[in-house]
Amino acid sequence: MDNVLEKTGMKKSFGKSLLYTLPMFLITFMFMTGGKPNFSDPASALAVLTVFLLVNVLYFFMHYTGKTDRYRAVLFIIFALSLSYTLIHNMLEVRKSMSFSQADILECKIPFCHLVIPMMILPAVFTKSIIFPGSIIGGFANISSMVVLWLIATIVLGRGFCSWGCFYGGWDDGFSRIRKKPVIKKISELWRWMPFAVLIMVALTSALALMPTYCSWICPFKAVTEFEQVTSVESATKAGIFLSLFGGLVIALPVMTRKRTQCSFLCPMGAVNTLANKITPFTVKIDKNSCNECFKCVEVCPLYALTPADIKAGKVSLFCSKCGKCVDACPKKAINYGIRGIPAGTMKNFSRNLFLFVSFLFMAIFSAGSIISTFHGLLKLIF
Amino acid sequence: MKKVKIIAGISWAFLCLIMIIILFPGLNSFSVSVSKLPFMKLNPKYSGGEIAKQMITASCTLDIRKPVFNGFFKERNSGFVQLDWHGTIPETIKDSIDYDNDGNKDFCVLIDRKDSKTVLSPFNKKVKGVIISTPTSYGWAVRVGLDKN
Repeated sequence: MDNVLEKTGMKKSFGKSLLYTLPMFLITFMFMTGGKPNFSDPASALAVLTVFLLVNVLYFFMHYTGKTDRYRAVLFIIFALSLSYTLIHNMLEVRKSMSFSQADILECKIPFCHLVIPMMILPAVFTKSIIFPGSIIGGFANISSMVVLWLIATIVLGRGFCSWGCFYGGWDDGFSRIRKKPVIKKISELWRWMPFAVLIMVALTSALALMPTYCSWICPFKAVTEFEQVTSVESATKAGIFLSLFGGLVIALPVMTRKRTQCSFLCPMGAVNTLANKITPFTVKIDKNSCNECFKCVEVCPLYALTPADIKAGKVSLFCSKCGKCVDACPKKAINYGIRGIPAGTMKNFSRNLFLFVSFLFMAIFSAGSIISTFHGLLKLIF
Repeated sequence: MKKVKIIAGISWAFLCLIMIIILFPGLNSFSVSVSKLPFMKLNPKYSGGEIAKQMITASCTLDIRKPVFNGFFKERNSGFVQLDWHGTIPETIKDSIDYDNDGNKDFCVLIDRKDSKTVLSPFNKKVKGVIISTPTSYGWAVRVGLDKN
């Protein structure tokens, strides 16, 4: 039954993997059930149980197989799909439409998402107010809660938030896995600076217009969440932009390049999180002594965070989202999760275990609500 | 120095672990604290502005909000005033409004709720037209466009 421990790998024995899963098991149990499982509604109990098992089985396999990305991606993609399902279902139930009305804006009932944060900083400093028609506290996806969640997650994970916490990232992550080989292989690494340009542009225009311009005009994920009712040429243009960007950057390009192109080339929050990689304790490190410069990691990196020059210099760039794809792909196990201050190639197991626990715990708890709600909804539809 | 760096790195990582563990149980209280920060209030462009005065009738109440002209650096030349009707609202609403408190009526708004038709009669050249007129969960809301000067 025991898995063979590879000399350089991260595989663990069955028993050891179970032991490592135990804290996750206990904490997720407490969060998902409140410590008291409720069996009064069988559909609800089954949904909780399914999600609880899913989360813990995935975490167990991360330890047992020594692979990170494939198990992370399962939960990450389910999270993205379930959040859209929950949001759309909620919109259809409450408003009978996927679009929000002028009344919803006037009554400040629009759910807040973390992508607004970079646009609200300048107005918050200069006008001492928030430029979003949402609820400051209370209600679904209120501004204060989302700010706290994003802030802590970004301090802890840096750009890791983009692969372990962002409820949109799963969309292009999922589409980037559809083809086995990319159709488009060469895209200039200069494009990875594009989110900074978008960030500067939307931060300035939002401040000047006192309106989150990215959400109003650009955000591709409006196509799978909610958008303004189409009542004019302007709102029709906006809907056209949302759908085109979703089709292009979230579906077509990820399928053709096997890269997360929306996250790499557009998302302004990705730019902010990239800067946060400077403070997070968790990093990805290259052990120069083991690396044979095969550049397999460069090939698989979904965010253009690795270039041959980075590998030769023995450093992973700030664009890294710690998804683990390069770690899994490296034939020499020369690239690993690390902790700031600890030299590359040392304390590899400790660093990986600590990072996985922190990042997976965040994703598991953050995603649990919407995944349970989706499972519950699906169970009710079936039975 | 190498050991200090290692200890500092591990300590910072464990501190992050603690932050993630307490994040969700403490989310409500952290959020309440954040909501009390001085900048955590909605811009008047979204909230509609402070209520300046109320017109109370037997069945419903009309809130007339302060005109909103705010911009990033300074006030803008164009803005709006928001009117909110609460309570049991009649099928047809007709109210004359003095939004700038100069003792003169600035415009008259006539709303036919059945046909969702809103007619604005301005008595002041600063009043530009209806921006939004919509039913809300509490009754009806109208935003009337204004020029500052």
